[in-house]
Amino acid sequence: MSIKGRRSYLMGCGFILAALLVGIVLTNTSEGKSETVKEAIKDAVLHETNKVSFWGIKDVNPAFISAIMVTIVLLFVAALIRIFVIPRFTYVPGKFQLLLEQLVGMFDGLAKSNSPHRNGFLGAYIFGAGIYIFVGTIFELFGIQWITTEDMSIALPAPLSDINAAIALGCLSYLIILSGGIAGNGLRGVGNTLKDFSLPVSMSFRLFGSLLSGLLVTELVYYYISLSFVLPVIVGIMFTLLHALIQAYVLTMLTALFYGEVSEPHEKKNGGN
Amino acid sequence: MNIPLNIDWQQILLHLFNFIILAGGLYLLLYKPVKDYMEKRVAYYQDLEDKAQEKLKSAEDIEAEYRIKITEVETEISEKRLKAARKAEEAAQQTIDEAKKQAEKIVADAKKHAVDERQKMISSAEKEIAELASSAAQKLMQESMDSTYEQFFESAKRR
Repeated sequence: MSIKGRRSYLMGCGFILAALLVGIVLTNTSEGKSETVKEAIKDAVLHETNKVSFWGIKDVNPAFISAIMVTIVLLFVAALIRIFVIPRFTYVPGKFQLLLEQLVGMFDGLAKSNSPHRNGFLGAYIFGAGIYIFVGTIFELFGIQWITTEDMSIALPAPLSDINAAIALGCLSYLIILSGGIAGNGLRGVGNTLKDFSLPVSMSFRLFGSLLSGLLVTELVYYYISLSFVLPVIVGIMFTLLHALIQAYVLTMLTALFYGEVSEPHEKKNGGN
Repeated sequence: MNIPLNIDWQQILLHLFNFIILAGGLYLLLYKPVKDYMEKRVAYYQDLEDKAQEKLKSAEDIEAEYRIKITEVETEISEKRLKAARKAEEAAQQTIDEAKKQAEKIVADAKKHAVDERQKMISSAEKEIAELASSAAQKLMQESMDSTYEQFFESAKRR
């Protein structure tokens, strides 16, 4: 590109940015805000006001709609992969096949390394949980708009930023660990699992706290116009992408670790040894 | 009942229901087929490796068998060589013995011949000597008779 062309390109970009800035400032009237930052954050935690109608059956937290959307998208993509990609797998994998194999192999390896005795079901569970947490957290970045029961527009949050979803996943993980204990050691396994009675609470609230922190920071950043430039890029990466990776790893790893611990066959102690 | 943080049991169950469908779907559509394929590939390469190991083992067995055969052949060769050497030695000894016997016979024959020759020579010499002696004696007698006659005639003449 010539110097003249480059100059006109830069000028064009600068003009567009200036026009956008003017538009943002002119349209951002404080009267337009329907709730204060305190209310917005309180509602993000408690979901008292912003409810969404679930096909007219029940008013639910917006995170449940997110959860359904994530499920639909994931199952649709999985079905496409099953129909169009997996039948074309070759012994020498291509890039996408390698990615899929890495993904499955990673969770399978995590299950096998942490629970050497019973890991078939565990691998399948942590694969589902890991994908759900990761994609569910990333889902927040798309900012899909939805209408609440009070006719307000909200951006759909991460499914696990809802305490109900976090409790569901935490308790289900605990039940899976319990099932591993029963399958591996019977009543002794139940005892071993119940010994860690704080596990479902810690798992649920760890997930909820981590994902909620991301949501709160994002709410704060987008609430103030002055913070809406550049900063969301950093915030988005730090509080969404990293959380997505870390929380997916933490929950799956903890589940695999406890599952392996309780399903490990009990060795009878020999008298002299 | 008002639960803190607006925890709603119905929504928890809804989330559970949703997640179970998702996990089941992902298992059937993605996890199981990909894992099955990976296991199939592992089995394929394992089979190849097993076959290669089997071939290697059979090659090693054949090698060991041939080594044993080579050792046996070498032992046989050395035994045969030893036997041949022993035979050659025996044959040589036999030849030497025969030659010795022959030589002894030759020497014995020669000695006998020499003794016979000597005996013959001695007897011929004795005979010759006897002949010579008799002829000499005859000659002496003849001479002495001749001289006696001459002396007699001489003496007769002078008288």
